[in-house]
Amino acid sequence: MWAEKYRPQSLDEMVNQAEIVSRLKTFVAERNLPHLLFVGPPGVGKTTSILALARDLYGPGYGSFILELNASDERGIDVIREKVKNWAGIRAIASAAPFKILIMDEADSLTAPAQHALRRTMERYTRTCRFCLLGNYSENIIEPIQSRCSIFRFGPLGEGDIKDWIRIIASKEGVDMIEEGLDAIYQASRGDMRKAINLLQAAAASQGGAVDDVVVYSVLGRVSPQRVREMISLGLKGEFIEAREVLRGLLIDEGLAAEDVLRMIYSEVMRLGIPERWKVRLSDAVGEVDYRLTQGSRPEIQLSALLAKLALAGEEMGP
Amino acid sequence: MTDESQPWTSRFRPRTLRDVADNERAVSQLLGWVRSWERGVPERRAAFLHGPPGVGKTSSVVAVANDLGFDLLEVNASDYRTRSRLDDLLGRAALQSVSVLGRRRMILLDELEGVSGREDQGGISAIADIVKETRSPVVLVATSAHEGGEEKFRPLRRISLLIEYGPVPFADVLGRLRAIAREVGVAVDEEALELISERSRGDVRSAINDLEAVARGRERVSAEDVTWLGERDRQEYTPDALMKMFSARALGDARQVLAASYIGYDDLFDWINENLPIVLDDPRDLAEGLDALALADIHQGRARRTQAYRLLKYMFNDMTGGVALSRRRSKGEGVPRQIRSALPRLGFPPSDFTVIEAPGGVVVRPVRHLGNDWGRVNSALRELGGTWMRGEGRWVVPYLRPPQIVWRYRRTWHSRRLLRSVAERVAERCHISSQEAVREVIPLLRVIFQGNRGMGEEIAGWLELEDKEAEWLSP
Repeated sequence: MWAEKYRPQSLDEMVNQAEIVSRLKTFVAERNLPHLLFVGPPGVGKTTSILALARDLYGPGYGSFILELNASDERGIDVIREKVKNWAGIRAIASAAPFKILIMDEADSLTAPAQHALRRTMERYTRTCRFCLLGNYSENIIEPIQSRCSIFRFGPLGEGDIKDWIRIIASKEGVDMIEEGLDAIYQASRGDMRKAINLLQAAAASQGGAVDDVVVYSVLGRVSPQRVREMISLGLKGEFIEAREVLRGLLIDEGLAAEDVLRMIYSEVMRLGIPERWKVRLSDAVGEVDYRLTQGSRPEIQLSALLAKLALAGEEMGP
Repeated sequence: MTDESQPWTSRFRPRTLRDVADNERAVSQLLGWVRSWERGVPERRAAFLHGPPGVGKTSSVVAVANDLGFDLLEVNASDYRTRSRLDDLLGRAALQSVSVLGRRRMILLDELEGVSGREDQGGISAIADIVKETRSPVVLVATSAHEGGEEKFRPLRRISLLIEYGPVPFADVLGRLRAIAREVGVAVDEEALELISERSRGDVRSAINDLEAVARGRERVSAEDVTWLGERDRQEYTPDALMKMFSARALGDARQVLAASYIGYDDLFDWINENLPIVLDDPRDLAEGLDALALADIHQGRARRTQAYRLLKYMFNDMTGGVALSRRRSKGEGVPRQIRSALPRLGFPPSDFTVIEAPGGVVVRPVRHLGNDWGRVNSALRELGGTWMRGEGRWVVPYLRPPQIVWRYRRTWHSRRLLRSVAERVAERCHISSQEAVREVIPLLRVIFQGNRGMGEEIAGWLELEDKEAEWLSP
């Protein structure tokens, strides 16, 4: 996929996040590294930076000196600890630096007790291993971990950053990129480079000719947010059972996480053309469900209850 | 030794692995594990087979034992009552690796879900103790490894090799039935075989039972002969009990459904969830009732997480009384109204059908000959839980329907498994979580695979997808 094909391989190839990159380069030059905490929105170069750093540091065989874990995919901190133990316990030999690098993505999704356990693990293996934790928000990382890491805050990418890079990829892949299409890609990406590149590739694949805004929107129409919109409008019209069918399709057939569906519902609700005080009331209802998802055991029920509230809101607001 | 008086499910049970056609991966896992005993006692002394009923769990154990020359010692639910009974039965057998006849022995503990509730905790820990010491392979079988919540089987899951069985694909059930019909010499219409296969939802045993019920002792079977077969799910009691619950005006009356429905409260929860929006057709009642159900779910979640099972009574109150007492403004026109609005949506004037509210359900009879339109009407009414009564030329739609969500899970089992495996590949290659892969990448991969074959193939190669995974992305 193009997002991987065009992922910068070396820190020298990175065009964005200039200040962070220059500091990371000094770590490579000194062949030493503190524990790192990279925070920032998705698709702004966190993973790219650490992978590029590892490659610059260890050379092309860098793969054997890093371990990538994703906190949200691992089943509990015990599993993570076990993996870290098995991997970090063995010293790096024949390497350019006397330590290996453990990359933990979505570290901010770990619960506080799990992070405390992680902190103990970090301390135990400091001699042989550096930890690089990635996450969206530093608030969700416990202070003892923050204080042990150098924190790098990745800023959002600007319109120019995204558009320039998309233009480069489009021309290398022989895609006829129309300016309106580029605007649409940028709008939909909301500053997330990976999303922008994936969208470009899907748009290019679905259309033999030029990629304009129509093509981009038709691709967007075939992905989940469109179905969420449809579900909300059915709900507001009082067609609850039909809305619930769509919900079940999203959760079961498409395998989306309830939290993700709820996030999409929220952003759609905020964009509805309804009186402002209703937006507040619906936001309140969404917030309640967001919390309840952590308490209950059947996400479908919690989201269905929200759809029923939408149906009631639709009834009370009138047409 | 095929005895023709035997029930067909035993007469046609596979005796050797050559006859076991489905769940290949699970069966080869099982076979590998049993073979590993030839090199001494393996780390995992038990295999825990779990999956929906009638998909060949027990059959594959019997076949493996036969093929590898093991004596099989079978234990069933009724033997699980007490620890001392289990010890009597198994204690000695487990410590000796060969039987009196000098053959190797394998122990099969079937229907583990029969170990019910807390009073049998002794049972689970007795089994765990036996597994820890056994010198013979022990196979545990249950419909779910998480039956009765996370906790019940935990001691067993931890020490066993977990092997998952899935529902048998429609085409395979159909093939099995066809072969059996040929064997017993009954001419069964293809359409009848398809109806039975579809009804089975991947449960081969129930399909064979159904086939036997309609075909034994006859020469010909048509689709018409099949339509009278009852849907499974122990439904005889549940809808009636549920009807009473929805009309209850007092909490105590509503709670009666728990005892009267003959199903566990998790299943009952699904039933209530399915039918709630049909019964509560006023938006205020609906919002209130679903909120009660959502709170019931939360009480249960808390009970599970903290293992404070006393909290379950609040769940029961919310899911029965909370829901029933929300019904204040609804007219209860649920199913008939749904039908009356579904038909015009398909473009049929109301005059094309008569819709009558009979005691057993709503009867829908076409007034004119539907011709090619029949299929569209049929699928719309089936979505509402209706059945076409072939001989009578009408549909009957019950007032309450079994949980569709369960069927949906079964129907989509294979595609969800592919989704999971593709997501894992994408996660690894794109350095993201598999949840993110499902949300952000797979929908776009679909667009790519459908729009540009060449690019799709290139990506499939890069992701090292198997053929069936790539096909799943571009149906």
